[in-house]
Amino acid sequence: MTYYTQTLKNRAQPTEQWITHIREHYPVESIIDETLTKKLRQRNNTAAHQTNFEHLEERLTRYIKTTTGQNDIGLTNLKRLSGGASKEQFTFDLDWIQDSGERATHKLILRMDPSESIVETHRLREAQVLQAMWGEVPVPKVFWCDPEKDNLDHPFLIAGFLEGTVQPEGGDKASGLGMYFEPALREALKDQFVQHLAHIHNVDWREKDLSAFDKPQDNSTEGNDWSLTWWERVWQEDAIEAHPIIENAARWLRDNLPITEKPVIVHGDYRSGNFMYTDDHQINAILDWELSHIGDFHEDLAYTTLKILGTPENNEVLTSGLMSKEEFLDKYQEMSGFTVDPKRLFYFEVLSYYKTAVIAVATSLRTSYSQKTHLDAMMNMISGFGYIGTSALQRLLDKA
Amino acid sequence: MSPEIEQFLSGMKKTIEEVVMPNLTDRFAQEQAGIVAATLGFLSTIQDKVFHYELLENQEYKNILRDVIATVESDNSLNKSLKDVVEKVNQHFQHDRADDQTAMRPYPFIRGSNEHMKEFLCEFIQLQPDMSGSVRDTFESQLKPFFSTLENRERSWVKGLGFDPEADQQPDINDLLYKNGYLIGSST
Repeated sequence: MTYYTQTLKNRAQPTEQWITHIREHYPVESIIDETLTKKLRQRNNTAAHQTNFEHLEERLTRYIKTTTGQNDIGLTNLKRLSGGASKEQFTFDLDWIQDSGERATHKLILRMDPSESIVETHRLREAQVLQAMWGEVPVPKVFWCDPEKDNLDHPFLIAGFLEGTVQPEGGDKASGLGMYFEPALREALKDQFVQHLAHIHNVDWREKDLSAFDKPQDNSTEGNDWSLTWWERVWQEDAIEAHPIIENAARWLRDNLPITEKPVIVHGDYRSGNFMYTDDHQINAILDWELSHIGDFHEDLAYTTLKILGTPENNEVLTSGLMSKEEFLDKYQEMSGFTVDPKRLFYFEVLSYYKTAVIAVATSLRTSYSQKTHLDAMMNMISGFGYIGTSALQRLLDKA
Repeated sequence: MSPEIEQFLSGMKKTIEEVVMPNLTDRFAQEQAGIVAATLGFLSTIQDKVFHYELLENQEYKNILRDVIATVESDNSLNKSLKDVVEKVNQHFQHDRADDQTAMRPYPFIRGSNEHMKEFLCEFIQLQPDMSGSVRDTFESQLKPFFSTLENRERSWVKGLGFDPEADQQPDINDLLYKNGYLIGSST
């Protein structure tokens, strides 16, 4: 393999010295540092990702038997799920004795990391935030989590499988982007969509076990600094070509870092495609919490209302295909009790486009370049979404 | 030389869509095959423009770096970090000169040269705090039109992938690469 520049070689074949340099220059939350450092160390040592799951059932059965101490569990119907862009997902039926002492069969979902993912995150962090949200907003129940790779060769999380619809009929879009909901369905879902986000932001995270999260101080830039540095670091680790617009955006974001008075739990990917609803139009699950962190509520608002995540209709773009941006923000203020600061919303809109570009241009192309995922073809395609994000980022910065 | 790339791609796309996909029973496999077919369709629309895309970028990065160096060197108290980048760019221009017949070079040469130039421009951007106020202002004003052209070209390039909610307002990539039947910026 020929590398055009030394920087590209460093990224493709990271040395310990280069990894140390990156870690020192881009300090992030401790568990994110652990996750990203592990990714770099593995980059040299792992072959192309194998999509063969021939022995998965046997190994999964062994893991659950050991973890539960029950030798008579029944594991059947293991199937790979379609959809999603970051994790390999499987469903299976498990018959076992529950914590209540009752024997029952439940359909479960296994979320497993590929060798490198479009977003490299920590399964323990995802498990903790799901447990923190249990009883607050509708989320799947987490049963087991293994953030190491000893059992299935990849970190994973096992949760309850919920029946419902993520993509409405005919709304077959990559990762749920630009999804179309019929007007009647919109009316039924939109208040719930906003209400759940407002509730997430009002959960007192100090009362929850979130040991895998670093906690930013009140009235400081700390959480926002971590957020920006996370994506700066990912760009420096994963990009397969330099990009002056991305570099310039990082400079602007660094120069304009805002203070957050009261940090909240930020979902990090709150949009259509990441919630599920029942046949009677009730949202029964908020999904994909892997990017969650503690930060500024404007970060979720700005991300959720990004035009490129929305659905075009009648010369406007609907937030998550449900309502106008103005309606979304009005409802949010009413339901959350928080006041939206337009200047800070603008900052986080820039950050959200920056993050989108980093994920969809740098990491997606890095994973397919190295053949480290089960979705190589899709990862190449998603870069198209990333370049639209880069374009939107620049157009926004032109107004700054 | 035949068949042309377009013919290869359209043949593969048709086979996947009409032969492979209807016979796949696994939903995950169907989804992936659909993505492969869509990718082949996209490649059909851009495959004959890749060389000229890189050639145009080669010209544009040479131009912006030449302008930026002139700006940076106007500062008498230039610090060492900036001087080092200027030196690296000048060395690179010995290797890929502004008056070079770049169009006659192999594709990897152009692509490699472009990557170096992108990294140099990014280094200047990172060093903005080291620039004096007036130099930084001029630098920023030079970047603005360059960025505008760049984002517009990239967005048009990926228009065929179907992600853009404002695709109807975006020009076709042909219109951004060619004028009067020639590559924009070419001496013809």
